[in-house]
Amino acid sequence: MFTTLSNIRNRIDNSEIERLKAVNNEVAEQLKAGIAPDQYSQGRPIAILKINSALPQNRVQVQKQQCDSTASVTDECRITVSCYYTINGINYQVSSYNYVTQSKQILKGMLLTAILKTVLIALVVLLTVRLVSKKILSPFNQTLKSIQKFSIKKKQPLTLNHTNTKEFQELNRFLKKMTDKAIKEYSLVKEFSENASHELQTPLAVLRSKLELLTETDIQQNQASLIADMQNAIEKLSRINHSLLLLTKLENQEFEATKEINFTKQVLELLTIYEDRIAIKELKVTQHIDPDITVRINPALADMLFDNLLSNAIRHNVKNGTIFLEINKKGILIKNTGPEPIFPTEELFQRFKKSNQCSNSVGLGLAIVKRICELNNFDVQYTYENRLHMLTVDFPRAGLTETDREEGISVLGQDNQIVTLG
Amino acid sequence: MKILVIEDNKELASSIHDYLAGENYICELAFSATEAREKLLFFTYDCIILDIMLPDGNGLELLNLVKEEHINGSILIISAKGALDDKIKGLEEGADDYLTKPFHLPELHARLRAIHRRKNLDGNNIISFKEITLNTNTFELKIHGKALDATRKEFELLLYFLVNKNRVLSRQAIANHLWGDYTDNLSNVDFVYQHVKNLRKKINMAGGDDYIDTIYGLGYKFNTNKG
Repeated sequence: MFTTLSNIRNRIDNSEIERLKAVNNEVAEQLKAGIAPDQYSQGRPIAILKINSALPQNRVQVQKQQCDSTASVTDECRITVSCYYTINGINYQVSSYNYVTQSKQILKGMLLTAILKTVLIALVVLLTVRLVSKKILSPFNQTLKSIQKFSIKKKQPLTLNHTNTKEFQELNRFLKKMTDKAIKEYSLVKEFSENASHELQTPLAVLRSKLELLTETDIQQNQASLIADMQNAIEKLSRINHSLLLLTKLENQEFEATKEINFTKQVLELLTIYEDRIAIKELKVTQHIDPDITVRINPALADMLFDNLLSNAIRHNVKNGTIFLEINKKGILIKNTGPEPIFPTEELFQRFKKSNQCSNSVGLGLAIVKRICELNNFDVQYTYENRLHMLTVDFPRAGLTETDREEGISVLGQDNQIVTLG
Repeated sequence: MKILVIEDNKELASSIHDYLAGENYICELAFSATEAREKLLFFTYDCIILDIMLPDGNGLELLNLVKEEHINGSILIISAKGALDDKIKGLEEGADDYLTKPFHLPELHARLRAIHRRKNLDGNNIISFKEITLNTNTFELKIHGKALDATRKEFELLLYFLVNKNRVLSRQAIANHLWGDYTDNLSNVDFVYQHVKNLRKKINMAGGDDYIDTIYGLGYKFNTNKG
């Protein structure tokens, strides 16, 4: 900027000096010819002085007179060029001067245009960068979107759009390879746990049957109690195995919700199955079940979900306790009396987490409930209030699309009036 | 009753054999699909106990064979796979019942008898022992010819006892029989106790003898030598 400025200034000055020099020469020529020059020859003020002394070494002298802005309104600078000639034996000093624009003025002008240009350039650059990057990065953004949507549990391989950019091709190739491998490994692990659970069934069957045959033999009481303990252990083992297998199947998405089912019907059927157990524990059941509630869920899962909820409410209840059951189109609410939970209630959704009181339970029931709810986009909550265990399952609202459902959770949360009912 | 057990696990097969032999059934074993195929084609059985997963072939193929060759005999599938799809598939292919491993031997026996009763519909749906008579069609229980008001569960419990006479039935086996898949996590043992207690009381009130023995901590036994 400043080099440009000084350059320009020098150029202006030099050309002015050259011109003044030429004028001086012209005047000198006139003097030589004997014509008395005008004071304002060629439109410039000329001063001709006869010098008695010798000519200075430098035949041309330039004098720049910086003008004070306060003194001069014009903000200009005076350049005086004095030339020395010897004409007809007489030494003359011919000097002429002119005003040139001051550098400050130039600077001002330059600055303004420079700023304007810079701003313009910046704007153009920004705009182009935005547009170009949008265009160039569009494959990248698409890839990003696909990755964000990718879920290893869904087992759908990552689909990426084709791109011509080499770097993105490489990125996509790498991502594809990585996710495919992850899916493969994941399903291998899942397959392993499923197979392991299956393989355990036969040895368990052998153990159980041998023990049963053993009880047929002539045994003493102390032997009988040993066998009973073993049978209990096998029973527990087989239950854990069964539940783990179920959880694995749930993880593997083997239960698809194909159609809407009549939830009320299933609930009522299950209630009759548990009738005798409710009666034996002398529980008081209050139920508000709306007729013909339809829910989109796999029938086997619906069965398991309510089975676990109800059997929990019975098992963890106290004698002469109560169960409050409400089912409507918004969801399920089940409240029951029971000993106070030792852990924070939310922790009980974890596998093998259970309250100590009921040591013969496996501790997978609520984990199964949670998983079933997650699979079907239900919202499940467990709270302990007013000495009541309260489990709520909120069905997704009818008419919500698959993508809406995720956002819908917060909406459902506000709609959670079931909780405060009763 | 003549039974073929197709099961590749020899210990389990021998357990089934031992238990069923105790009921005076003729019980033959096949450890592979090939062996089973031969036996099925050359001999006739009243009932076939079939494991789905065999080392040299799928048990469902054997099921097809039975259907194609019009082999007589009811089929009870035993499988480690409890998956619903397998169950439905097996039943669609013509199996009569399905039992998931690990099962209780008395349960296996009860299922066999139930299939047998269903298949041989010669009007014989009455099971009786001394003064006790059960009608499996109408779920009627009679003591000394007099109808007894018993719940469905109590009826099933008594039937289970009568099918597995003089056998020790563990509480788990009973719970499993009565509630099937809905035997929630072990706490049923108390409920079994309640049901047995109620059943005993009712039979006693009706003037029947108490044949049900409590076997230490193990379970119960229907003792035919009593009374």
